[in-house]
Amino acid sequence: MRMSGRRAAIGAATLIAVAISWYVLTTVTGWISGGRFPSPAEFWQSLVQINGRGYAGAALVFHAIHSVKLVLLGFVVAILTGIPLGLWMGWSRRAEAFVNPIFLVIRPIPPLAWIPLAILWLGLGDAAKILVIWFSAFVPSVINAFAGVRNIDRPMIEAARMLGTPPWRFITEIMVPASLPMIFTGLRLSLQASWTTLVAAELVGALVGLGFVLNMAQQDIYPGMILVGMVAVGILGWATTWGLAQVERRALGWNVAARG
Amino acid sequence: MGSIRFDKIEKVFATPGGDVKVLEDINLEIGEKEFVAIVGPSGCGKTTCLRMVAGFEAPSSGVVSVSGRPITAPGPDRAVVFQQFALFPWKTVTQNIELGLRNKKVASGDRARLIEGALSLMNLESHRDAFPHQLSGGMQQRVAIARAYVLDPEVLLMDEPFGALDAQTRVVMQEELVRLARVNPRTVLFITHAVEEAVYLADRVAIMTRRPGRIKEVLDVRSVRQSEGWDRFQRIEDVMDLPSFVHLRTQIWKSLREEKGSQGV
Amino acid sequence: MDRAPLSLMQTVLWGLLGAAAFIGLWGFLSLSGIVPRQFLPAPWEVVQRFVQLLTEPFAGATLPQHLASSFQRYASGVLLAAVIGVPLGLLMGWFRLLDDIVSPIFDGLRFIAPIAWVPFAALWFGTGVGGPIMIIFAGAFPPCLINAYRGAKFVEPRLIEAARMLGTGHLRMIVEILLPAAIPSIVAGLRVSAGLGWQSLVGAELIVAAAGVGFMMVQAQGSVQTPTVMAGMIAIGLVGMLIDILLQRGEASMRRRRGLAA
Repeated sequence: MRMSGRRAAIGAATLIAVAISWYVLTTVTGWISGGRFPSPAEFWQSLVQINGRGYAGAALVFHAIHSVKLVLLGFVVAILTGIPLGLWMGWSRRAEAFVNPIFLVIRPIPPLAWIPLAILWLGLGDAAKILVIWFSAFVPSVINAFAGVRNIDRPMIEAARMLGTPPWRFITEIMVPASLPMIFTGLRLSLQASWTTLVAAELVGALVGLGFVLNMAQQDIYPGMILVGMVAVGILGWATTWGLAQVERRALGWNVAARG
Repeated sequence: MGSIRFDKIEKVFATPGGDVKVLEDINLEIGEKEFVAIVGPSGCGKTTCLRMVAGFEAPSSGVVSVSGRPITAPGPDRAVVFQQFALFPWKTVTQNIELGLRNKKVASGDRARLIEGALSLMNLESHRDAFPHQLSGGMQQRVAIARAYVLDPEVLLMDEPFGALDAQTRVVMQEELVRLARVNPRTVLFITHAVEEAVYLADRVAIMTRRPGRIKEVLDVRSVRQSEGWDRFQRIEDVMDLPSFVHLRTQIWKSLREEKGSQGV
Repeated sequence: MDRAPLSLMQTVLWGLLGAAAFIGLWGFLSLSGIVPRQFLPAPWEVVQRFVQLLTEPFAGATLPQHLASSFQRYASGVLLAAVIGVPLGLLMGWFRLLDDIVSPIFDGLRFIAPIAWVPFAALWFGTGVGGPIMIIFAGAFPPCLINAYRGAKFVEPRLIEAARMLGTGHLRMIVEILLPAAIPSIVAGLRVSAGLGWQSLVGAELIVAAAGVGFMMVQAQGSVQTPTVMAGMIAIGLVGMLIDILLQRGEASMRRRRGLAA
């Protein structure tokens, strides 16, 4: 098991060591100057500022909520469009053959490469971000839903046929549940991609949000605030991933393989 | 009702390396409520025979029919018990058994009654709400058998059903199956490569040659079972000790050994 | 559900239909003016522009020049990630203490999208070559480390026991036992790394570069030169695909030589 007592102790010790080094290297010895990386004190000051007076136009909470909203919106639309498409491609060989060429062309284009086009089309507002986030989360959803269907154990499909299962019942009671493990893998990837894309999009062109905070802080040469932004992104990324994991646990309670 | 007939069956599979003839001139008739086991060396096509009755494969030539009807597709009239159980992990035991009945549009009151019957028949009552992963291999296979029985199929097709179970569980399941066959007899086609299993369970045992598979001979076990009174013994080890049992088993082994021939193991 | 695969002819036919539908829809939307020509050039305009850019410079260089410049940074970043990540992963897989020390740090940093390092990269390197390399490194590093780690950690225990019985020291154990055993995992990780690195490159170049394809696209976006933007996207996609195909071939041939399943 990974989290043994010894491992946890060493882990904690390491983190404490890192924290102490951070303090020593910045504040005590000044080897890392304030212009490069913030000291703990500078980090704290930035955190206080953005929570109180605000930074780049608003308080941290406001920026954070805005970013999370965009991520969730793009993510949800992507899975609502991507999973059905992937399932359909898994079900129908014709659909697979029809969609494949388009996918083959679009798939290698990194989601971030869509940012300039999205900004061109939709400006610096939310719509452009949601478009790119949607795209980045869409691709893994399709691919994994498709793979989920194609990887269903043959005996299970044959058992369903033997039992005389009509098409609609087969889809809802057999095909979709059987594909869920792979679909959730896709969801994890989609969520990761959503966050990356959101931050990148907000870095390139935005008027609000965590990426915008990062951008402003960089232009103002304000390392303390950069670190605040990064930590915020990290925490929210972790929190949304944790949320997804809880949903997965509930939905896949029957999946022994994943738990093992 | 419930007879199976293989009529001049041939099966050829197209593989990247060329065409492979798996079955050649298979002719076999299984009568109503008869329990027939097919044994044979690996790759002889015995599973393919079962899959053709099930409707998962079609013969390259010849006709497979059940009760006079040629087979074109799978269906609950020819229920299958798979080696890998093939239970749906997200459904409970009851839901797994219920699916076939719902597909047959059985009314919910009748369904409940039939499921109760199947649960008690297979000693699963206390596990009705369990999920497959919570059950042992033997119990999962019981669920699979219950799922098949509840459909009251014309024909029961069992493809090495105990192959994935450990030796002790296997023995218990074999005894269970014999009990079932006496209590609720129906036409069964049973595939196995365990010779004792075939002799213990079947009325007749068909021995296949190695690929391309043909039916080498068919032994009548039933008459021996009845005349020697095997059924008076409850336990499998008592039956397997009997000289008449050993004789039949050895006969089949010798026949199979000829099929190994120059191939070695 | 369809059980059997389509014949080759059927696959090609439906594929062509799909491609035609896509291009047809695109062309229709563009030509009819439903989407302004400015924002959605016709497909052939994009192809035209792509060909043009092969010889005509834009934002300071031709497309191949931009690509070369991008690729240089990309290769440096991925190479750095592999050179640090793979050995570190192997060592972590072998020395439990190292694993216990590094893992918490790694797990903590993992949730920060590589792209979030851009502001620091800009602060530290300006628009110089170090910035993109750092971002690419951040993206390409995790798979290198994780896959080397897993490859070493999950080596068949019997092999390790046999090696220890034969008196194998630490260094030899790592180099002659763990490394070869971990190769399949490492190669798979390199493939993922290469993909993530390419994506990170694009992100980095959109923000902190003064050359390269991403930079070219941002310049084109600023002056509403949509065909150029789309040509850039196609170029990025093509190169990314090429890299993946080459690595896939490499992985497949490695697997063949080892007798592993495809």
